[in-house]
Amino acid sequence: MKSSSKLIAILFSIVLAGCAATTTIDEYRPTGEPIELNAGEKVVVLGRRDAGHYETDREFIGCVGKRMTGADIGVLPEQVFIDAIYPWFEPRTAPKGLPRLKRLMQDASIKAEVDKLDVRYLVWLDGSTETLDSGGSISCAIGPGGGGCFGFAQWDKLSVYEAIVWDLQDLTEKGRLRVDSEGTSYLIGAVAPIPFLTPVKSDACSSLGNQLKGFFTTQPASPE
Amino acid sequence: MIMIKMNRFAAIIILVILSGCSSSASVQLTNDFPQVLAKPKPLSAAIVFEPSFATYVAKPNAKTMIDIGAAQVRLLRNAFTGLFSKLEFVTSREEITSDNAMVIIPSVREVQVSTPSDNYLNVFEVWIKYNLDLETVDGEAIDSWFMPAYGKTPDAFMASKGGAIEEASIIALRDAGAKLMLDFYRIPAVNNWAAQELKRSQQLQATPSAPADSQTSPQQANSGEASK
Repeated sequence: MKSSSKLIAILFSIVLAGCAATTTIDEYRPTGEPIELNAGEKVVVLGRRDAGHYETDREFIGCVGKRMTGADIGVLPEQVFIDAIYPWFEPRTAPKGLPRLKRLMQDASIKAEVDKLDVRYLVWLDGSTETLDSGGSISCAIGPGGGGCFGFAQWDKLSVYEAIVWDLQDLTEKGRLRVDSEGTSYLIGAVAPIPFLTPVKSDACSSLGNQLKGFFTTQPASPE
Repeated sequence: MIMIKMNRFAAIIILVILSGCSSSASVQLTNDFPQVLAKPKPLSAAIVFEPSFATYVAKPNAKTMIDIGAAQVRLLRNAFTGLFSKLEFVTSREEITSDNAMVIIPSVREVQVSTPSDNYLNVFEVWIKYNLDLETVDGEAIDSWFMPAYGKTPDAFMASKGGAIEEASIIALRDAGAKLMLDFYRIPAVNNWAAQELKRSQQLQATPSAPADSQTSPQQANSGEASK
């Protein structure tokens, strides 16, 4: 009896171990110095939405923003910033590079609005989560005597996101991050469907958020 | 008795589930749009929102209906404030009172919708194709500008068809505002008209005995070319 319980526990832990995502982060920064964020200054995390076949989803942007907020970093909600600067950060008009950003910030009304919002840094997020491969099959049936699902299915998911940090004061790029997170999820049909889901996107979010947190050091407000 | 009740209950449940799978969508856009951040040129325009435009209901296919009339009027009212310092909104050409204004008559050429079953992508897409007839107050044509706008949902997963089309339509309308702000003064004919009007108003101000029918204040005229 004991040995069978142990066997079940081992099998269960093997299955659960298979549900872990593999995450890799690449980081580039011109200097090793942390980026200074003065008291009252904020960061805004924006998603790139100009690609045809995908767009960086708002849920992911919100998740990264939440991760960063936890470290005393003021994060302005994406939609608040986009609405305040409308229409200059819409998919059609958003600056893709620093030269265009510089031209935008030369406009006194845009510069004044950015200053009013206390936004110092802009983090562009670009990427998506895709299902790469899937296999197996599961079928469910229901009848007068009851029902159930039988079979086994699995699928691989890959999250690739890139973050670019722009300084809205110096109008320079402060660093880049790229996160790749991959994992396999399973669905076992043993009368009831039992899912073993790998949180690929969630892992990518927490890794990226934590790494971005490390980019910034918050400066306390100077006593006056 | 209990059996009959159970059957009714099961029928209701099945109907509820099936209605959730319904592929038709009727959407009315009631949202507001943010104020545009732009300095208008010291020029005047009369925007003619004809009733057919203000109450426009798009039927891109047999199963989809999008009521965009009121929303597109709200959007264009807002967007034109970033282009012209003096604006007049009317419902017909006869109501225009401004002199030397550009008369703009927007119309919808076509609205197209694409669903995940059409495009094999996990997104809903909406295209709104506008046409802007640009004329002088005297009725002389300046240009006829085709202005397409595009919007798509980030992800159609678990989204209802109606909700997804509404979201894509709002993004398309916002895109129309962005396109207008970005490209309006890049239209060669509009650019020429604007240059002529600015020159004319400057000449009027330079002449001491000029009649006081200028459309722009001296402050606005001196501000020069400010729009992007």
